This record gives sequence, C-alpha cells and structure tokens, in this order.
Amino acid sequence: MSPEPDREPMSDLVSLTYVEELTPNLERFADALLTGHLVGEQCPTCSRIYVPGKGYCPMDVTLTSEADEVEVKDTGFISGYTIITPVQYYGQKETEPFVLASIALDGADNTLVQQSIVGVPHDAVHNGLRVQARWRPQHERNVEGISNRGGTGLDGVIFGFQPTGEPDEPAAKCRERLF
Amino acid sequence: MAASDIAIVATAQFPSVRRSIYSEVQLLIPTVSAALEAIGVDRSAIGFTCAGSCDYLTGGPFAFVTNLEATRAWPPIAESHVEMDGAWALYEAWVRLQHGDIDLALVMGSGKSSPSRPAEVWPQQLDPYYLAPLGLDPVSYAGLQARALLESGKATERDFAEVVARSRRSAQGNLNAQVRGDVDVDALLAEPYYASPLRKHDLPPISDGAAAVVLARGDRARDLVERPAWIRGLDHRIDPHQPGMRDLTTSASTTLAARKAGYDGGPLDAAEISAIFSPQELILAESLGLPDGTVINPSGGPLCANPIMSTGLVRIIEAADRIMSGDASRTLAHATNGQGLQHNLVCLLEGA
Amino acid sequence: MPQRCAVIGVGQTQHKKIRSDVSIVGLVREAAQRALDDAECTWSDIDALVIGKAPDAFEGIVQPELFLADALGAAGKPMLRVHTAGSVGGSTFIVASHLIESGIHERVLAVAWEKQSEGNAQWGLSGGRSGGSGAGGTFAPWMRAYIEDSGAPEHIGWMVATKDRLNALKNPYAHLKLADISIEKVKDSPLLWDPIRFLESCPSSDGAGAAVLTNEAGTRKSSKPPAWVTATAVRSELGVFPGRDPVRVQAGVDCAHDVYRQAGIANPRDEIDVAELYVPFSWYEPMWLEGHDIAGPGEGWRMVESGTTAIGGAFPVNPSGGVLSSNPIGASGLLRFIEAAQQVRGQAGDHQVDGARTALAQAYGGAAQYFAMGIFRDRKD
Repeated sequence: MSPEPDREPMSDLVSLTYVEELTPNLERFADALLTGHLVGEQCPTCSRIYVPGKGYCPMDVTLTSEADEVEVKDTGFISGYTIITPVQYYGQKETEPFVLASIALDGADNTLVQQSIVGVPHDAVHNGLRVQARWRPQHERNVEGISNRGGTGLDGVIFGFQPTGEPDEPAAKCRERLF
Repeated sequence: MAASDIAIVATAQFPSVRRSIYSEVQLLIPTVSAALEAIGVDRSAIGFTCAGSCDYLTGGPFAFVTNLEATRAWPPIAESHVEMDGAWALYEAWVRLQHGDIDLALVMGSGKSSPSRPAEVWPQQLDPYYLAPLGLDPVSYAGLQARALLESGKATERDFAEVVARSRRSAQGNLNAQVRGDVDVDALLAEPYYASPLRKHDLPPISDGAAAVVLARGDRARDLVERPAWIRGLDHRIDPHQPGMRDLTTSASTTLAARKAGYDGGPLDAAEISAIFSPQELILAESLGLPDGTVINPSGGPLCANPIMSTGLVRIIEAADRIMSGDASRTLAHATNGQGLQHNLVCLLEGA
Repeated sequence: MPQRCAVIGVGQTQHKKIRSDVSIVGLVREAAQRALDDAECTWSDIDALVIGKAPDAFEGIVQPELFLADALGAAGKPMLRVHTAGSVGGSTFIVASHLIESGIHERVLAVAWEKQSEGNAQWGLSGGRSGGSGAGGTFAPWMRAYIEDSGAPEHIGWMVATKDRLNALKNPYAHLKLADISIEKVKDSPLLWDPIRFLESCPSSDGAGAAVLTNEAGTRKSSKPPAWVTATAVRSELGVFPGRDPVRVQAGVDCAHDVYRQAGIANPRDEIDVAELYVPFSWYEPMWLEGHDIAGPGEGWRMVESGTTAIGGAFPVNPSGGVLSSNPIGASGLLRFIEAAQQVRGQAGDHQVDGARTALAQAYGGAAQYFAMGIFRDRKD
C-alpha cells in the first residue's frame, strides 16, 4: 500500500444529558453529608454496614431502607492508595499528581474508594495511616459529586481525609480492606 | 441433544413506570428474587446467568457492572452480558444450556429510559459517519418507515390507530403495563401529528423497568413446574443497517428468523411482538405470517410499556406466562434491536 | 453430546495508536478478511457473527455492531454483541464456541475491536469525570499489595515490561516496537500510577481481531492445522464487597480450575506449553501466574526473574508481546485467544514457541472481576 498522507480526524462532540433523582439511599447519604454526618445502612440479614447505603446488601441481596440507617464516625484508615499522574482527557481538571486512597471507615464494612488525602505530602502517604474527614464549612458544602452512577465523590463536602496522628493500623488489617 | 429440551419455568417483571426512584440494580434485585421464589430455587443453584442492558441508558461506561449485584455473584458465578435486549441474553443462555452440563440458567433484562432524552441517545445508534451526524432521531426514523408503509398501500392511519386502541384496551388487564385505557379510534385520529404520520399515541411510552426469566433443561423443568413453556424454536437475524438498503415496509429478518425458529404460519394462541411504534405491528404481523385473527399483544405490548432492554424479554415472558398458566398451548414472541426493525428475534413456545 | 469446536482461521490488524488509514469499518474488515482468508472461506460461508468490544462510551456510538452489520456480511445472519468489560474479547470467543458446540451453527465469525483514536478511552475509564483513577489507578494499589505480600523485588515489573516489548518485535501486528527497550529505560520512565511507571503500562491502540470457528466436520475442509478448543470457562464476582481480595481473585482461581478440569490438566505449569495472559500492567504477569495456580503463592515473580516466562523459557508468557504491546481494549481478550490458537497451529511465525501443543488464553475485566479463559490443543483429545 502506498504511504497515505496523515489524516486529522474530525471531532464530533457527543453531548448527552442525564437528569435523575438520587436513589432514596443516596438521597439520605447526601442529606446527611450536608450536615456533616456519614450515614449508611446495616443489612438485617448479615449485619454488615455499607456507607453509603446501597438500598440492598450485595452479599445477601436483602433490600434495605431508611429503617436500616446507621451513622458512622468519619474516622478510619488508608487501606490502599496510589499517586496518579493525570492524563489530560476531556473534562480532566487535574494537572498535578494527586493521591487516590481507599478509606476503611471504622464503622463500616465496605471501603470508601478514590478519596483524597490532605495534610500530608504524597511521599508520606502509606497504608495503615489513620485519618479523619476534614469537612468544608457547612455553608460551602455541596453534594454534586454524589451520583447514582457510582460516584461517591465527597470533594464537595470534605477537603479530604487527614491524618489523626494515631498509631498506624497493622498491614494485615489494611490487606483485608484493600478495596 | 434436542433443542426443544429447554423451557421457561419462571418469570418476573418489575412494573413499568415513567420514572422510577430506584436504580436499575434496585429494580433487578426484587425481580430476580421473585422469579426464583416462584420455583423455590436459590441463586446458588443457577448454572449460568446472562444479562441484557445498555450502558447509554444508565449513562456511563461500565454501567452494566452494577447490575451484577442483583445476582449475588459471590461466590463467583458463570455469567455473561450482552449490550442488547434481555431477549438476546435469553438466547445466549439457551445456547449455553444445550451443552448439557448445567440445568438452570437465569436471564435478566433491565433499563431506565427516564434519565435520558431518547432523541439525544438513539441517534448515536446509527452509522457514526453517515447517519448519526444527521441527527436522525428514533421517532423520525419510525415516521419514515410509517410513511413508506402508507404509500405502499399496505396500511392506513386508521390501522395504526386501531393497533393503539386495541393495545391499550388489552393492557387494562396487565398490572405491569404503564399505559392503559379505553380509547376511541376516531378520537385518536383527531389528534394532531407528532412527527407525521405518527401521532403521539403511535409512539411507545418512556419507561423504566426490568424483567427476569429462569430457563430449565429437560427433567429439571418438569420437576419445577407443572406446565413448562418449552422453547420449540429460537432464532434471530439482522438486516442491513442503512435504511436505504432495505424495504422498510417489510421485515425480511423477521420472516427469516420465524422460519428458522420453526414457525410455519399456523395457529397461535397469542403472539407477543415488539412493535415499538404502531405501524410496526402491521409490518411484523405480515412478516411473521400470522394468521388473521391471531391475538396480538394481549399484554398491551410495547405501546403500553417500553422498558428498553427488557421490552423483548417481556414479550417472551408474556408469551410464556400464558402457557404456564394453562391459558395457551402455543405462543410466539418477537424481540427487536436497533431502529426500524433492523434486528429481530423470534421465539416459538409450546406447552407440551 | 456437544460438538467439538476448533479455530481454522484468525486475523488481526496492524495495531497502532492511530489507524488514520481506515475507518472503524475498515479496521474490523481488515481483521475479519484476514481470518476468512486464513480459514480459506468467504463471507458467505459464515453462519453467524459474535461481536465484542469494550464500553460503547469509548467511541461515542451506541451498539456500533448494528452499523457494522453491513460491512461484516451479516445481513440475514444472527449477530450477537457481547459486552463484559476488558474480558470481552475472551467471552466473545467463548460465546462463539458455544454456537458451534451446541450444533446450532457450523461456521461462526468472532470479531472484537476498539478504535480508541476515534473516541476517548481515558475519559471512559475515568468514569467520565475529572480526577478519575483510570484502569491503572484502580489496579495500582493491588499491585502494590502483591509486591508487599510476595516480597518481590522492584525490578520484576520492569523485567516483564521489557520481555513483552522484546517479544513484540517478533510480532508484525504489535503496536509498540520499542527496539531499544531495556530494564533501565523502564525504571527511568515517569511514574503514572505509583508504583507503576509509564513503560510498565499498556499503550492505547486501534485494533481488531477475528477468528473463524467451526466444528469437526469443518476442520476437514481446511488445509491448515486447526486449534482445537479443549476447554472454556467464564467466571464473575462482585467487584466491591467487604472482605474481597482483589489481588488473588477467587473468580480467577475458579475459572482456571474449571478449564484445567475440562482439559484434564492436573499440573498447569508442566502441562501447558505457552500462555497468553491479559497483562496490561507489568505486575499482572506474576499476579496471574499465582492467581491461576500456575505458580504457588509468592512464586510468580520468581518465574519472571528466572527467565521462565521469557519466549525461550520453560513457561513462555505472552510471546506475542501481549497487552503491554498492543491494547485495543475490546479486542485484547480475543487477541489472547487468537495468539494461543496460533501457537498450537504452529502459525505464530517469529514468535512461535517451539513444540507448543497446549496453550492457555486468559482475559480479565472490570475491577478484575470478570474472567474468560480457554485452552487450545493441536489435537482433538
């Protein structure tokens, strides 16, 4: 085949609009966030606590509701993390390396994934680090990052999770709550 | 082995609504549970699961992954997913069961159309180089098909209205339907055009819904229910995509799929067909070779509930339920994929 | 009794960052036509098609197989579209094999593709949001956990990255041709998802793969050796749940044991001659070796370090260069199955493993929760 001149693709931006209400479980989660609280649901079958509540327990497929709501403290530890060098894709706002961490909340059985860590340089972030949420001032909070599509972006209500200064959790405990 | 060895033994639908407060997986969980409870089977007994859904309805890449949580996939399960209506997930599960090593398969279909705008999403289903940039929305596409049908002389606008009136009347007996009522054909014809020659009532409703089916093989089916709905034939065929490359007034792929599924044009107790727009019912009835007087869409059909990605599966469910209840001994179900009836599936069900 | 299934033709595209010389149509036809030619048959000989690709949001098209029907000679035939995230290329092959084994069809064309340059896969992998983790960011903490669990030295990842790119130099279809690749170069490349570096990560590719599957009678019509499908299996598990181990994934263990059982394999390390495993980030090679019980706990990285998984070693992994060298996401799983088939057909050219008679193919996807695996042999039993 003879060499072809390089072709520049034409861009056709496809823009689709999705509008929906948060599911009841996420609605309750978002309302509580605005008042500075973390709530989830406890499964009546196995007693596991999920934050945010999912409206069901995936381990038993038992449906859960407001009757199963529990509050948990905003403390926990880093069970997994990475430092991401941002790729510039459409909509990307990050330009500098940033940390995404999995936070094992003390009162929950699931893990909060892709959370920001503040108050510690990147090279000091490590598994086992005990942290607590650093909340934004109440009047500045928004829950736009909460979505039915798996977004539990808490950036609108907290700056991130910051170290508490307590001793680290042991590696084994981190390993069982990695994701 | 005999392909006719596989039957539908349980079904469930989440009633279609215009806008559900629940997420897709929250619709699926009680639906799947209901189907399994009907036959006293636990999720752990299922040998293979297949789901049908469309990421673009949920509005995100990998959206289908969350639906796995309706299956309680722990410990790990054998499952798969098609970016198609649940009717094709049923097809895949039916194929899988023929291997003979497992007895039970679970099929799911789900979709919420409420969060998005059909006129924005579905043009993206067309050829991205030549058609999508024209912004051809699904209603206009159906309108072009309806116009071609009128000009062919094969149908009239009154025929369209009669399909709508009959469908809505039938849906009065269907708790899962979204639109139902007693409407007068002349009153329908007096309504203004929405996208000529289609009137608003010629369009399906926008629906959120989910459905589930359990398939069983051979003796297992006989052990589970008194009257399994045996799948006597199941086939699907696709037509060319470009609307200019086929006769929109007929559905060649439906005719072929019906023949390959073993439907000979004989009497049926009911036919549940995926006529998404009213004119399509006339096209499909002819293409299937349904005898005059066949009861079509006793459920009300897609004109009364259109939970996209389970609409086709619901047709199979409605056709199967009538056999399992003893009300019918031979029914046919049809599902469609793509626009203007591009891709079609036919399922022939028998009671014995 | 199920019919036996065999591969009698494969095809793939020249994988590249941007295939500006073809549209999506041209891309899939290139692979499909090559598969048909290899199978010595024509479009009209195909009874059914199974298409697979990754999320349609990557290219901004809904169900693109619908418009590809025309280009793939599908009119009048059944067409299925499989979508199981990254494992899709593998599950596409497996769905196609079921159509043969059930006796429903005699010749099925499986096609999987991705034209990432005509979309925005990074956006898609980041959930369409700013600050997303992408695939690498999701897997990085798990690779870190493997490194800590196993005590593996840091150079193992660099060795895998180097090995696969050197293998790719022998694969005419591979995207990355890094003739000057070295462990030093990998080590010095920038960090992308700590601890994973740029040169330890897969490229973004445009590419497609295709395979023609047939039954035993069909193999007799072909003049070339078939690759017999001895075993296939899929397994999925919840991606997120309390107590999940995303490093040694149970679904991956179960899937592997299913294919080994079907193939009568008691000792995979000894009885499998070559493996094409989905390794998009270097550390996944030792992780899958252990995750599929080819190596014992903590032994996967030793297989890498000792050169066992090199193309001339006792258990070559990814002689094609693997996903680290070409990653059109929707196609990558099928490419693993195609490459494994080519090995037992003796048709892998410069990256042929001598005497390969039993080959393992594996694809995974989602949050390392979907698995599709297959075993090919050069003989029917």
